[in-house]
Amino acid sequence: MINRIADIGRGGLNLIEAYGKAGILLYRILFRWPRITKNFYYVVQQIFAEGVLSLSIIVVSGLFIGMVLALQGHHTLVKFGASMELGPLVALSVLRELGPVVTAILFAGRAGSALAAEIGLMKATDQLSSMEMMAVDPIARIVSPRLWGGFISLPLLTLIFNVTAIYGAWMIGVQWLGFDSGAFWSNMQSSVDFHVDVVNGIWKSVVFGFVVTLIAVYQGYFAEPTSAGIARATTRTVVYGSLAVLALDFVLTAMMIGGW
Amino acid sequence: MDSLIKIDNLHFNRNGRAIFTGVNIEIPRGKIVAIMGPSGTGKTTLLRLIGGQLRPLSGQVSVDGNIIHRLSQAELYRVRRQMGMLFQTGGLFTHLSVFENVAFPLREHTQLTESMIRTIVLMKLQMVGLRGARHLMPSELSGGMARRVALARAIALDPDLIMYDEPFTGQDPISMGVLVRLIRDLNKTLGLTTIIVSHDVPDTLSIADYVYVISGGNVIGAGTPDELQKNDSGELAQFLHGNSDGPVAFHYPAPDLATDFIELSEGNSNL
Repeated sequence: MINRIADIGRGGLNLIEAYGKAGILLYRILFRWPRITKNFYYVVQQIFAEGVLSLSIIVVSGLFIGMVLALQGHHTLVKFGASMELGPLVALSVLRELGPVVTAILFAGRAGSALAAEIGLMKATDQLSSMEMMAVDPIARIVSPRLWGGFISLPLLTLIFNVTAIYGAWMIGVQWLGFDSGAFWSNMQSSVDFHVDVVNGIWKSVVFGFVVTLIAVYQGYFAEPTSAGIARATTRTVVYGSLAVLALDFVLTAMMIGGW
Repeated sequence: MDSLIKIDNLHFNRNGRAIFTGVNIEIPRGKIVAIMGPSGTGKTTLLRLIGGQLRPLSGQVSVDGNIIHRLSQAELYRVRRQMGMLFQTGGLFTHLSVFENVAFPLREHTQLTESMIRTIVLMKLQMVGLRGARHLMPSELSGGMARRVALARAIALDPDLIMYDEPFTGQDPISMGVLVRLIRDLNKTLGLTTIIVSHDVPDTLSIADYVYVISGGNVIGAGTPDELQKNDSGELAQFLHGNSDGPVAFHYPAPDLATDFIELSEGNSNL
């Protein structure tokens, strides 16, 4: 009994310690960025590594999700004689929810895990220590550009996902099922509000980008410097990142619908 | 004696285990000092304490008059610019080529032109015999070559102090000879203060001006190589001559062998 209480207490303390360490890491990233010009180059490098190199998975996923959504939507809408609402159905689903959420989860799996493994391996092979000994702050030089890279990349990837998914739905709805292209686009245009649907979706992706990348760099930076430790860090990045996205999506949606 | 580094009454614990229990060491300026001792005695830890990567439990480490663990990060980094450290693993950046690895500290801390950086990098690589390997990636280097590149990087900014962590491990006899000569030449020509952590007794004693031997959390012997060779105290002599019998136990503390095997055969053991 006492051992169980001790385990719960230890777990609570570890959780508080983890939040504390993440907070200090975030503080050091945000408030110690001494050389903007040099770090700008590193951030651009990371936008390429995290954003551009994730494009293929985002585009392919977006295309298939849009296509499946169109097929499923058509199958259901036709029962109610509302098949012309296919465009709005796809657009609203993708812009409000699927785009930001699926892109963030895919990003956690592709770029987040790579970030955690890269930073963890740099730690395990003394690369971060040798950088420190050369009087170069690894947080400013390695961690910070990666966080900013993810923060900038994810909203852009979400926009690309949205466009691709809607294009996939258009291919199925118009090219395959034979809907009128003009009706498809005009119904969509009349139903979608730029601020409520598009901008709110992008706000979500901004929050997801920040949280997922922070989880990834935190897990990598504080990973146990062994192969098992790095494996744990990458797994945690994907699991915690995905769960955080889903939980935050609920909170943000509630805030947006509630008009907070 | 003009000391660059002074370690006073250093205590340090790791995972509840005492690594140092009152260590006192002085590193004279411009000399080659070897830190030796059996595996697991905290030689690398000592280098990390000098570099400010670890904080002592009590006592202090001062470098050039600066008490390392009391410095702010900016002050610590200013002191570290005068230090070079060669890690056991090399610590090369795996995403950068040999050339870029050596150029890294120059790009970070100087405003030198590309042509000057190129000249300095090639000079440093020439010193370690790897000028021709400048286009290779770290994954294409052997362990010994990687450490030589790391050495070139460590001396890129011409530091006042250089710390070598097991520099001779994995070197073939030719590279070993060159490396020993290079360490000595760097010390003499540039006036570098040098700390070598090594197990390699003959080669280390051949170049060291002064030697500290650490064991059991304390300094068990100190002096010039000649003085140490003449010292016949049990622990020190056992280490220097590589004797299996002596006060330093080869086996990690364990229960009695017979008891352990009986427990195993009776299925009582956890392992």
